[in-house]
Parts: sequence; C-alpha cells; structure tokens
Amino acid sequence: MTIVTPDPTGGKTQKDTAPRPRRRSRLAPLVLAAPFALLLLCTVLVPIGYALYLSLFTERLSGLGFDGPHDVFVWLENYADVLGDAAFRESVGNVALYAVIHVPLMLGGALVLALLLDGATVRLRQVWSLAVFLPYAVPGVIAGLIWAYLYSPNIGPLNDVLPWDPLGSNGVLPSIVNMATWQWMGYNMIIFYTALRTVPRDVLEASTVDGAGPIRTALAIKVPMIRPTMFVALVFTVIGSLQLFTEPLVLRSFTTSVTSTWTPSLYVYEAAFISNDYGRAAAASLLLALASALLSALVMRLSARRSR
Amino acid sequence: MAQHTGWSRRALLRASAGTAAFAAGGVGLAGCTSSTTASGATRVTLWSWMTGMDQYVAAFNAAQNEVHVDLSVIAAGLSGGYAQQTNAIKAHNAPDILHVEYQGLIQILATGGLRDLTADMADLADGYSPAAWRSVRPDGRTWAVPMDLAPMALYYRKDLFDQHGIPVPRDWREFTDAAELVREADADARLTTFPLNDGSFFAGMCWGAGDPWWRIEGDTWLVNVAGEGTLRTAEFWQELMDADLVRNGGTGTQDWIAGMHEGRLWGYLGAAWGVGTLKKSIPDDTGRWAVTAMPVWDTNRPANGVQGGTAFGISAESEVAEAAMTFLRWLSTDPEVPRIGAAFTSPFPAYLPNRDVAREVVPDDYFIGAPVYDVLDEADARVPEWTWGPNALGLFSSVADSFGGVSTGGTTIPAAVREVQEAAVSTMRDRGLSVREGGAA
Repeated sequence: MTIVTPDPTGGKTQKDTAPRPRRRSRLAPLVLAAPFALLLLCTVLVPIGYALYLSLFTERLSGLGFDGPHDVFVWLENYADVLGDAAFRESVGNVALYAVIHVPLMLGGALVLALLLDGATVRLRQVWSLAVFLPYAVPGVIAGLIWAYLYSPNIGPLNDVLPWDPLGSNGVLPSIVNMATWQWMGYNMIIFYTALRTVPRDVLEASTVDGAGPIRTALAIKVPMIRPTMFVALVFTVIGSLQLFTEPLVLRSFTTSVTSTWTPSLYVYEAAFISNDYGRAAAASLLLALASALLSALVMRLSARRSR
Repeated sequence: MAQHTGWSRRALLRASAGTAAFAAGGVGLAGCTSSTTASGATRVTLWSWMTGMDQYVAAFNAAQNEVHVDLSVIAAGLSGGYAQQTNAIKAHNAPDILHVEYQGLIQILATGGLRDLTADMADLADGYSPAAWRSVRPDGRTWAVPMDLAPMALYYRKDLFDQHGIPVPRDWREFTDAAELVREADADARLTTFPLNDGSFFAGMCWGAGDPWWRIEGDTWLVNVAGEGTLRTAEFWQELMDADLVRNGGTGTQDWIAGMHEGRLWGYLGAAWGVGTLKKSIPDDTGRWAVTAMPVWDTNRPANGVQGGTAFGISAESEVAEAAMTFLRWLSTDPEVPRIGAAFTSPFPAYLPNRDVAREVVPDDYFIGAPVYDVLDEADARVPEWTWGPNALGLFSSVADSFGGVSTGGTTIPAAVREVQEAAVSTMRDRGLSVREGGAA
C-alpha cells in the first residue's frame, strides 16, 4: 500500500518562480488531496491505530464476571497468545496450502484462457470472455451457497460423481479451491487478455516472419511482455488467499470439516465476535496485515528483479 | 440457534448475516438518543432478531401512547446479533432493550451491559415456568424478561412407526432399539441425526443427563463440561454412530429437510420451536408426524433439556428503563402477544397464562397423536437445574470444532468433550474469572 500525501516542497519551488498565483497553487493541491487524505485518515489510519491500541490491552473479569470487564495493559501478551495458539498456526497452514494450490491453478488457468482468447482463430470471442467472466459477477456468499448445495450429499450431484466427499475433512480444501478458482479465473483472464491486446502487433508479426509458431509466440513473446501485469495479479491473489473468509464461512453451515478458526480471518472473527476477546482479535488481524504487507513486498521485489 | 427464523433459509441467512456483520465489524451502530416523540411518548430502542417482532411492536405502539418502541432488526444470534450488541455495549451506545437467549445471557452479562431487574420483575415470579424463571436468575438476581422457552422433545414419523410396529422409545435404551428397527425397516432410513456441527444441540442432550456444565458457588464458577452425565451422553451417541444407527449431518439444512420429507429420517430430537420448523419446512407432511416426550435415562426421574429460548434485557445505561420495562412486561405477559404470534409461528410462551392462550389459538392441525402443547408442557416441567457460563456461546463453537474429527474417526465424542472441558477452563481463567473444575461438592 502506498500513501500519497501532498508534496510540501512542490509549493515552495513555485513560490520562487511564480510569486503571483502562489496562494492559489499552494492551496489547490491541499484542497484536491483533502478528500483522499481525509478518507485515508478516517477509514485506514485511525482504524489501524485503534487496532494497535486494542491489541495491547485485554479485558479482565473477576469473580463471576457479572460486574463487567476492565481493560488491562498487557504489552505484547496478545501477540504471544496468538502466535502460541495452535489454532492460529493451523489456520495459517490451511491458507498456505490453499494458496499453493489455488494461486498457480487459477492464474495459470487464467493465462491459458487469455492466450487462447488472444489467438487469432477464436470465434465468438466476446461470448467466451463473458462466459468465463460471469462467475465474478455473482456475489461471493451466493456463489458459496450454490456450491455448498452442489457439494451436499443427497441434494447435490457432485457428491455422487466425485470419488471423495467434497465436504469431508480431506475434500473441503479442494472444494474451497474450486469455488475460489471458479470465481476469480475469469476476472484475471480479462486482466491478462487486456494486457495481451496491448502487445504491439508488429512485434508479433516479426516473430511470425522469424518462423515462430503460435505456441512459441505465446511463450517467448506474449508472456514476457505481460509479466508486470501477471505480477500485479499475483500480489492481489496472494493477499486474497491470506484473507480467505467467505467460502469457508459459508461451508461451515454445511460441514464440520471447517472449524470456526479455519483461516486467519475466521480466527479473527471468532476471537472478536464469538469469544469477545478484542485484544486477541486485534493482535491477530495486525499480524495478518503485516504478513500480507511482507508477502506483497516480496512479490514486488521479485517482480522488479525479473523485469530488469 | 436461529429458532425464530425460517429454517429453509437458515443457511442463507446465517451466511449472509455473518458476512455482513463482519463487514460492519467494529463500526459502532449508533443508538437513538432522542427520548420523546412529537406526541410526548417516551422512545425506547429495541434490537431483536425475533421473527414477527415488527408486528408485536406495531401492536404495542398502536395500543397506547405513553411509550413508543423503535425496532431495529439485527442478525440472528451468533450470525452477528451478539457481536453487534456486545460491540454497542462496549461503545456505550447500546439500545435500551437487548435480545438475549438464555444461553447467551451470561455472556452478555459479563460485558457489564445489563440492568438488574430483580425489583422490577419481583411481582411476576409466580407467572413464569420455573425453568424459564431460573434461566434469567443465574445468581439470584433477575437479569432479563423471559419470552419463550424451548424444552426438547422427540418428533417422529408416527405413520411409519405404526406401519412397521416400532414402539415409541421412552428411554435411551429403547431409543437404540428403535434406531435398529428403523434401519431394518428401510436400509436407507435412520431414526435421526446427531448434528455434529451444533454445540447447542449437544448441550441440550447433556442437560437432560443431569450434570450442568456450569454452576455458581459463591463467587466461583464450577466448570464441569466432562461430568459423568455428559460423558454418558457422549458415549451413547458415539456408540450409535459407530453402529451406523444415526446420521451426523446438521439439522435445518436443505439436505436435512429433504431427508425428513423423503423418509430418510424418521425422527428429530428438537426443541419446542421444532413445531414451527416442521410446519414451515415440510408443510406437505401434515398428518405424518407426532410429538412425544424426549427419551430419558431414568424413567423414574424423567428429565429433558432445553435448546434455546428468548429473553430480553435492558441496557445498564438506558435512560428510559421504566418505559422499556413497560414494553417488556406487555411483550412477555399480555395475552394479545400469542394471539398475534399464532398467525406466523407456534409460540411456546414462558409466561404460563399466555401459554394457555397459545394452546387455544395456535391451530393444531399438523401433528397427529398427543396434543403438542401437552407434550411440551410436560417437557417444560421435566427440565432440571442448569446454569449457562460466561463462555457458553464460544463453547458451542469449540464443541463443533472438536466434533469435526468424529465423522472421520479422527476422534471420539467423549475424547472431544474432555478437550472442550480443558479449553473452557483455561479460557475462563485467562479472562480472570474465578474457576474451579468439576461438579458440585
């Protein structure tokens, strides 16, 4: 995440060169940036600050607890609790495994579809792209429920067709991967396809003249040229994987294989809204945000190195 | 837990409400602060997820002009309702009236957000079912106004039981026999399901076994989730599952509804609100189902548990507590309320004179066999002592989580129960509560 603030030196340099419209030009960037800055402050920075504050406190009861809680400052105890909690580590393991399967499958599939669509011989290009993109237009909870019904024994067909139980303890991860892949593949395909359309046609013609077939052109010309786009998609997908929430939450009503702390986001939800342990919830969500930031920094770093 | 919402839509409601609540998250939803209307009535704010509450409120507002109730419908229970109310209490903008269930009362109480209603309610003591009255008085003080009660009973396919000559089970040994006979009669059918994902169901089963999970002794919580009665219950269900005599899927899901309707499930161990659930979910099954008392462990001392039941508390910070109390008294005790409710639900009021009204006005045209209200009245009278703890709602989640491995053989119900006991004790100690393990001395 980048934070854009009005550059204070911008006004100064103008002060020297153009004294007359100075007042207006100093004010203009501030005014223009104000809505953004205000929103950033109110919806991002203040909540993060409050979460940080909450994460350092815990609510303590005494006796039977009927007198209500009082806040106690506990330094980093909440963080230690979260990191020492086997349920939290399991949830991280679950999303890691999910990401390892989902990210290459979904992005790879999106890339292949985009390359196919970009191939010259495809008919009904718009119909195809719309068909693949459509799942993204379905709200996550609704999609989750539809899939859950498809997975359910007796009322859904998948349970009879598949050799494993899609809601069983081993089947639920592939089921969730499938739901997310179905939802996001079309979206990323459109992004890749749009990037592919910007690949200069003369470069492609040159490769054809040099004797490259369509597969060679795709792998050696097209893919390298849209690599920056692919890295951006990768960052979004990795962060999205870490924040996996809707799909497992929906499936929880249908199966016991998804625990109340199955992903880090569910862990936060459980801590805050079921156990009323706001300190632990705040600590866990800050850890999650930190992990997201580090992961995206890592991916961006890799991307910068590869593009050089 | 969503006993008042339409069960066929339960999954949708739960899922969407849960997500919405997460999105709304820590946002403090402001309570209304203006305290009078233009006509001079005192304004009272109410948050509730009870089906039909809008109609009760409208009737109350129309009937008098001293108090005007403003209702906000919130997500049901653990789908967001408790989270929203707890957050509001923490942010000091709770509504005047809060929706609590008996099992959630103590957890809300531990936020310090409820007003002591002991004096306000004293004159009503004799009117309520003793089980409901006890449930709002965990420590001898009255903390909420009981609305309804949900003692458990056995719903069964009387037509199929009669056809195959299966005796209706009165105790748990006969229940096992009945489960075997059902499977013999139809290899695809089972007597019932033990919903592994529903901690409140398991709690209801254990309630009847006579070992309360919590007790209050002076200033200390006694925690006994792995007591003798609970372990007996756990072992009983583990054996039924091992013998493939019951299923283990959830109740209220589309799969469950289909199974009930298509004869794959011949019975349902459900609470009083199951009456409404069955009528709504499988209306075509009129004339097939009957209700009877829950099987018991000891026919000389019959006991059954409770699963749910609504009560309402008043915020400790409410400035119009008296007006709020006026409404709650009306809601809980006025005979008009069950008359309104009969149009869309099958109320089982905690206030006994109102239960007689409900018995008269609710059409008894769905079930065959013994009259529903007779069975439920008896079930109510059989409810033994029980106290919920300050972590009851969280415990339902940990029960469901620990039971997750049961269906694959990764763990057993008794082993999971011992795990839950340990977790419950350490959670309560971490929160600074005074805790002792084990049952009453």
